[in-house]
Amino acid sequence: MPANMAPSSAEILRFLPEIILAVMGTFIMVLDPLVRGKSPKIFGHISILAMLAAIGASIFAYTNPGPAFSGMLMVDGFATFFRVLVLGVGILAVLSSYRFLDRERADTGEYHALILFSLVGQCVMVTANELIMIFIGLEISSIATYVLAGYLRDDKRANEAALKYFLLGSFATAFLLYGVAIIYGITGTTNLSAIRAVLSNTTTAPAGAVVGAAVALMFVGLAFKVSGAPFQIWAPDVYQGAPTPVTAFMSAGPKAAAFAVFLRIFMTAFETVGTGWEPLVWVSALLSMTIGNFAALVQQNIKRMLAYSSIAHAGYVLVALAARSEIGTAAAMFYLAAYAMMNVGAFAVVAHLSGKGERRLSLNDFAGLGVKQPLTAALLTIFLLSFIGVPLTGGFFGKFYIFKAALQSNLVWLTVLGLLNSAVAAYYYLRILVVMYMHEPGEATLAVEPLSFGLSAALILPAIGTFVLGIFPSALLQFADKSSIFGR
Amino acid sequence: MPTTAAETYFPVLVQALLAIVIAAALVSLSFLLGRKVKNSVKDMPYECGIVPTGDARHRFSVKFYLVGMLFILFDIEAIFLYPWAVVYKELKMFGFFEMFTFILLVVAGFFYIWKKGVLDWSHNDPSALRSPAGRVEMRDHHPEEILVAMKR
Amino acid sequence: MNLLDIVICTPLVGFLLTLFIPRSKPQWVRVFTLTVSVIAFVLSVGLATGFNSGSSNLQFVTDFIWNASPEIHYHVALDGISLWLVILSTLLTPIAILISWRSIDNRVKEFFGLLLLLEFGLVGVFAAFDLFLFYIFWEVSLVPMYFLIGIWGHDRRIYAAVKFFLYTMAGSVLMLAGIIFIYNRTGTFNYSSILDMLGSGRLSFTTGEEMFLFLAFFLAFAIKVPLFPLHTWLPDAHVEAPTAGSLMLASVMLKMGTYGLVRFCLPMFPGAARECAPWIIVLAIIGIIYGALVALVQPNMKKLVAYSSVSHLGFVVLGIFSFTQMGLDGAVYQMLNHGISTGALFIVVGFLYTRRHSLEIKDYGGVATVAPWLSTVFLITTLASIGLPTLNNFVGEFLVLQGSAQANFKWTIFASLGVILSACYMLWLYQRVFFGETPEGVRHHMPDLNLREWVAIVPLIILMAWMGTAPQTFLPPVSSATAHLLEQSKMNVPLRVHAAPAPPVIVAAEASHAR
Repeated sequence: MPANMAPSSAEILRFLPEIILAVMGTFIMVLDPLVRGKSPKIFGHISILAMLAAIGASIFAYTNPGPAFSGMLMVDGFATFFRVLVLGVGILAVLSSYRFLDRERADTGEYHALILFSLVGQCVMVTANELIMIFIGLEISSIATYVLAGYLRDDKRANEAALKYFLLGSFATAFLLYGVAIIYGITGTTNLSAIRAVLSNTTTAPAGAVVGAAVALMFVGLAFKVSGAPFQIWAPDVYQGAPTPVTAFMSAGPKAAAFAVFLRIFMTAFETVGTGWEPLVWVSALLSMTIGNFAALVQQNIKRMLAYSSIAHAGYVLVALAARSEIGTAAAMFYLAAYAMMNVGAFAVVAHLSGKGERRLSLNDFAGLGVKQPLTAALLTIFLLSFIGVPLTGGFFGKFYIFKAALQSNLVWLTVLGLLNSAVAAYYYLRILVVMYMHEPGEATLAVEPLSFGLSAALILPAIGTFVLGIFPSALLQFADKSSIFGR
Repeated sequence: MPTTAAETYFPVLVQALLAIVIAAALVSLSFLLGRKVKNSVKDMPYECGIVPTGDARHRFSVKFYLVGMLFILFDIEAIFLYPWAVVYKELKMFGFFEMFTFILLVVAGFFYIWKKGVLDWSHNDPSALRSPAGRVEMRDHHPEEILVAMKR
Repeated sequence: MNLLDIVICTPLVGFLLTLFIPRSKPQWVRVFTLTVSVIAFVLSVGLATGFNSGSSNLQFVTDFIWNASPEIHYHVALDGISLWLVILSTLLTPIAILISWRSIDNRVKEFFGLLLLLEFGLVGVFAAFDLFLFYIFWEVSLVPMYFLIGIWGHDRRIYAAVKFFLYTMAGSVLMLAGIIFIYNRTGTFNYSSILDMLGSGRLSFTTGEEMFLFLAFFLAFAIKVPLFPLHTWLPDAHVEAPTAGSLMLASVMLKMGTYGLVRFCLPMFPGAARECAPWIIVLAIIGIIYGALVALVQPNMKKLVAYSSVSHLGFVVLGIFSFTQMGLDGAVYQMLNHGISTGALFIVVGFLYTRRHSLEIKDYGGVATVAPWLSTVFLITTLASIGLPTLNNFVGEFLVLQGSAQANFKWTIFASLGVILSACYMLWLYQRVFFGETPEGVRHHMPDLNLREWVAIVPLIILMAWMGTAPQTFLPPVSSATAHLLEQSKMNVPLRVHAAPAPPVIVAAEASHAR
């Protein structure tokens, strides 16, 4: 055993993005006490460079795809897609945080270190091909995110958010771990492909009830992480309480990574028992869409509204999972990319407008933004239209691919209900447009500061991305199609 | 060699039964056979031998918790050295580099908390443990206040 | 890149360029957008002159793959039906810009920019021959109209705008489900290939599927038409919209619904269409009579015109679902007529509004004595709208009634009531506004038409007379297209056996009748 344990250089290269992120995160932590307070922006710059380098490393790693560390990690198209996605979300979150951290006079070093550590976890999650690695990645990502949620530690709401997130998150992780334990108990392995082999072989397949229990437990844990109903209760409070750039980050990045894990586990290891879990996902998808959209209708707080909308969007992705096909997987990947962009963009606008102490978060605080800051309003309009699913935006093609996959798998009712849901959703997104363009400027919009450079970048980049995905979707979709068979 | 699951787990069953029987016997025998004396001295905590004084809701310095947590963290990290020490000959240079990386990370963490001023117990520098945002004053509620609030 | 592509792209390019005009120069915006829209119109007239009206083939075809997977084509073309609707859109946009010249003075750049974006969407809807592309243009045209109503409308604009958006959205998502369903079955969004597959039997739906698909498409279109009882968004949207918005909404956007019925519902799902036709026709006739009766009692001019639209569009639906050559010809012709005469009505009501700042009929009276030319223009428009022979609506209504009589004479009797009622409410409106006592406010604030207003209204007046007296200019391309459509949907074997006369004959007979 011992001699060949040393990883080959190819394996190190496949793990390079995580190494870069971890090293740079540690570097920021060590640097932080040394330059404390003197040049707060440098940590942002360093972390952006680190993430760019990690994106480069991810793409480079894909030139030589394959397993690493005894098959614990699998660098394939799927993993590369999500690596680049979560890193992109990280970059946008950091860009939108410059002004925020300055405004709240918060420490910058730890913030960026935590973001990088969370990204390490997410990258491990999306590359992991084995349940224990998935669990480790999930924990690294979650713990950093728990801390980020309570980063403004004198803010009562942030405290509440962090504590809720932590307690319920650990609870959900326990469910997941319980499921992992049962799976290991009945199959004797934690490797996804090996589990699949055991479950699909009729002679070795364990009792259906035990498999069902394990799948259900893991479903609960993962549904919690992606805020799918009926495990969504935490999301509105946490998203509302956490600092807005952090909300932007955690409603896009960790969520995408959790969905990646969801897809990988359920579409590889548990694919052969798909008829068993499809009803679970079906019900969860419908509940998420309906609860999310209908609860969002009555929200006055913009962050809370976007939180409910994020639950609804998780529902749409679950529809793609319920389709149980490679097309569904590809659709989910595309949707998550489109969703990440519009969501980070929308939250960045909220962060921009909320002002010091995040006091201006009511829907009415957007009144007249279209007059006072036409560019900001126009960019938010793009994101909202993408949320609604108006053509020529990424959100539209995302929905289109998802419902196409669902119809192909004969989920007619889920498709019809989902589409009607998206018409309901139009109402609350329109409310934002209405106050923004059709009301006179209020106190909040008159006091709004000009867009800073970082925020402009954090808004314009996803807006461009939204349009690119809406007008030329096929490049990304083809990659997703190719990657949706995983490393099999 | 045991061949079936039942055979494999039979010793476990025996051990579990034995444990239950012994535990139950100890408790019930002392309950049945023991001499019972009831007085106020018997109601006092006897383990440490110190008679408690004052309020149980005593507040410790927050630094105590910080140091406590850090102690546990570094303690656990140190534990990782033991298994490595057992097999380091077989792991050869690979093991050496792995442990080197690990210790490097631990040192980085140590450096970080040191510079953050966590270990300065007495030195009360407000900037060292300054809160990131000095906005909302969190007020501690006196226990009596809570009781009053609960009664309402 | 042929002429049609240029016509489609011109407004889009104009819109994008408008974004770069400085906010401080509203006059530049007005002049620039007017120039762009006039260029688009002139080019689109080139489409009509270059159109071979004897052929039922698609013309000015551009077809290239826009998105590889799923295969979405940028496939635009024209046939006789879409030709005139495209030109209607390009004609009315410069007019909408002209009539908003002075009345819109806040956020000028956005307003005129959005009008161009709207034109892009509308032209695209009528030219798209790929289901997916059609859906995209359909939704794209929704967004600018939402903002036009919501930002520049009257008091209850927000309610009206949101209602308009949600009604249309609710309908169109089901259409999207239908489109995806068809794609999953055929692997293409191409309208022509889907029809080919249906015709050759390579694609067939079960009765249930066909009914589901028909209803999914029909609902989207019926909301847009709007067919009774889905019409409730329309009075709100029309009344609250600024004049240019009402104009584009009534004249062109409503036609998206009827166009969709003709283009998609009939040829793709003929069985279900025939199955549902009696019910739809009942709704259409209810709409005709109900719209007219409600219009009769309206105290608000715009609302009156809005309800008259419900009534007029009922005729179009009746013509479509009579499944006869004449009915369809009449329906398409009536789409154009309604676009021109109701558009003109909204414009002249807008003229009154800019002078008196009221839409209530009771605030007017005796306008004829102070503004004779305005009254004359209004009179011509009114007469056109009630279907006076030699003016355009007569031809359309006659063809529709003739066509429906061929299918079922009872329908014609009820529908004719609508014609009579329309004369009642329009003439009564005219009497109350233009004759009688002249209130103080009217006497002093009612200048006659100025040059800009003349330029805006004269083309429509000319068209009313032209289309009423010489339908043979406009009908031949329509007839060849509708004949082809009936053939494709195997509808030329009508419900009642009769020999359908060849298209040119109808035109000749019709034209002589009109004179």
